[in-house]
Amino acid sequence: MSSNNFAIEVNNLTVTYNKKPAVKSIDLKIPQGSLVGIIGPNGAGKSSLLKGFLGLLPTDSGLIKVFNRPIKQSISSISYIPQKESLDWDFPVVVSDVVMMGRYPHLKFFQRPTEHDKKIVEEALKKVEMEKFANRQIRALSGGQQQRVFLARALAQESEILLLDEPFVGVDAATESTIISLLKKLRDNGKTILVVHHDLGKVNQYFDYLVMLNQRLIAFGKTSDVFKNEYLDKTYGGRLTILQKSEDLQIENAKLH
Amino acid sequence: MDFLVKIFIEPVQYEFMQRAIAASVLVGITCGLVGSFIMLRKMSLIGDALAHAVLPGVIIGFMIAGKGQTALFIGAVTAGIITSLLIGFVNRNSKIKEDTSIGVVFTGAFALGILLVSQMKNVHIDLTSYLFGDILGVSRSDLILSAIIAFVVIVSIVLFYKQLLVTSFDPTMAAVMGVSTGMVHYFLMSLLSMTIVASLQSVGVILVVAMLITPAATAYLLTDRLHKMLIYSVLIGVFTALVGLLGSYHFNFSSGAAMVVFGTMVFLFTLIFSPTQGVLIKTIRRKRISDKNISQDLIKLIYKNCIDGKSLKVIHAKIKLSELTSQLGLSKSQIDKGIKTLTDDGLIDIQDDFIHVRDKGRKEAIQLIRSHRLWESYLNHEKILSVEKLHSDAEELEHHLTEELVDEIDQKLNYPILDPDGDPIPTKDGELREATNR
Repeated sequence: MSSNNFAIEVNNLTVTYNKKPAVKSIDLKIPQGSLVGIIGPNGAGKSSLLKGFLGLLPTDSGLIKVFNRPIKQSISSISYIPQKESLDWDFPVVVSDVVMMGRYPHLKFFQRPTEHDKKIVEEALKKVEMEKFANRQIRALSGGQQQRVFLARALAQESEILLLDEPFVGVDAATESTIISLLKKLRDNGKTILVVHHDLGKVNQYFDYLVMLNQRLIAFGKTSDVFKNEYLDKTYGGRLTILQKSEDLQIENAKLH
Repeated sequence: MDFLVKIFIEPVQYEFMQRAIAASVLVGITCGLVGSFIMLRKMSLIGDALAHAVLPGVIIGFMIAGKGQTALFIGAVTAGIITSLLIGFVNRNSKIKEDTSIGVVFTGAFALGILLVSQMKNVHIDLTSYLFGDILGVSRSDLILSAIIAFVVIVSIVLFYKQLLVTSFDPTMAAVMGVSTGMVHYFLMSLLSMTIVASLQSVGVILVVAMLITPAATAYLLTDRLHKMLIYSVLIGVFTALVGLLGSYHFNFSSGAAMVVFGTMVFLFTLIFSPTQGVLIKTIRRKRISDKNISQDLIKLIYKNCIDGKSLKVIHAKIKLSELTSQLGLSKSQIDKGIKTLTDDGLIDIQDDFIHVRDKGRKEAIQLIRSHRLWESYLNHEKILSVEKLHSDAEELEHHLTEELVDEIDQKLNYPILDPDGDPIPTKDGELREATNR
């Protein structure tokens, strides 16, 4: 379909937040069909980077291409799963209403959802095993179920790229592994998935690629190539606790191999 | 009958009342719709601010074009939009937070309006009716303007329903749809300014915010769907406006105040009696759950003391139960009530002061024990809680776990025989296997 297989190409991107640059001069080439983790300390600009992709934050410089086209033309092929605390969970919407929003980019400006759209919503809910909850208000769901509703919305949107902002916050270990296996399944179907993540614990089991960020791009590459002490040091400013953590991880990693 | 005729029918024969009724209905519709979005977007304060800030616009309109509906409309809407732009400008260009910038801008605009009124020589404006509304004095041209505004609002909300929903709920999704959140905001501000114009004559500036948010807040307590909320909000808005109007006619109340007082009463009533989210139903539901928990705790306890076909003297049972009072936190009357419930439900029999556990009671108790022990095993297996906390968590959850979930846990743990404390876990069929290590 295009001359290369990159889902997202970013050249010299600077995203500003509160009039200050949050991330500076980022260059990235994200291959299609990969599961990518974005890691870095608090304030590293992880969320800002995603919001910059979507044009939710102003970009000072840089070019973003999605499947070799300017992002403006292909923005509807991206879905964004927002941070939990950025939403009003008491909003008068039930599960199927939220998933239906995924169909909105496919509808004309004044068009109402059709039977076809309703069918897609139903199927999306089935894929995440949430069909039983279609008429449930979103507050009355567990943290993991809430995440699955938003994944269903992304499925209903039939988007090629999924951006997730800290999906595992406030979710128990069992749900986390359900979500990650769902994401891996989507990846195997050719979707490109970017996940902002801050727990280094399972990084090497979760992600194919890593973006290591601390306002600037510290490293980008296959997880096995970049999830290393030297890069972690640079990313996290060589903080002692993190150092120890990463060493422990490496020892654990060595045991596994 | 005469009485009802006097209250409801008699007023309708006057033309001014017919106009007032029409105005009330239009205000109810317009405010109910726009107010729902104002409330959901947490913009109640802006609603109030714009209502005040349209004053200078109205006066300037009158000064330039003389008293007339067009001048009123253009002046008010322009002032509304300028005010919301100004609030945004202050927000973006200083460290001042939104509530303060709203406060500064709208009081300034309102004061400017009052200043202008005091200087006006050629046009007389009745400030009282502007501030508090005078629905009995609605003119034909007022009514036509309100009808046009109501029409514009209805059509806008039907057409832009998707955009309004998405920008209110999840602005990031709006970005993906290519909808500008800022555009929708100012569009809604224009609708809000028009709504305020339409409500001026009936409720006045001071109280218009109540007509916007009170019916919406009431509707919000009654449903979980946006489209239903809009419909309920309109119905409640129309209803309160009409009742307020009747009060104004019969008792010479200020119309705006009467509408708002009644609306607030409806809101409070709903807060307590809403069938799904009301304070009352929540209390009843909590009590029902705790009653259920108590009788389940009791049957488990009685069963454990009656194993091997032994029966238990009622008096002993009560002593044992009250010994456990500190643990379960039960009063004597709760124990008595619990025993009665169990008897009524056919879980136990009481004969000659002895309690016999019936088959149904035995099954129930074993299911509870099964839930409890499997849940403990699961928590232990997943290392989610420390061992000391396992029991209390299971004690709570055994009442809520569904049979399906319990079976799923059983399967996941590969049908364990003993729980972490070494106690036997009953099978799905209610068979209690003997513990081998005790």
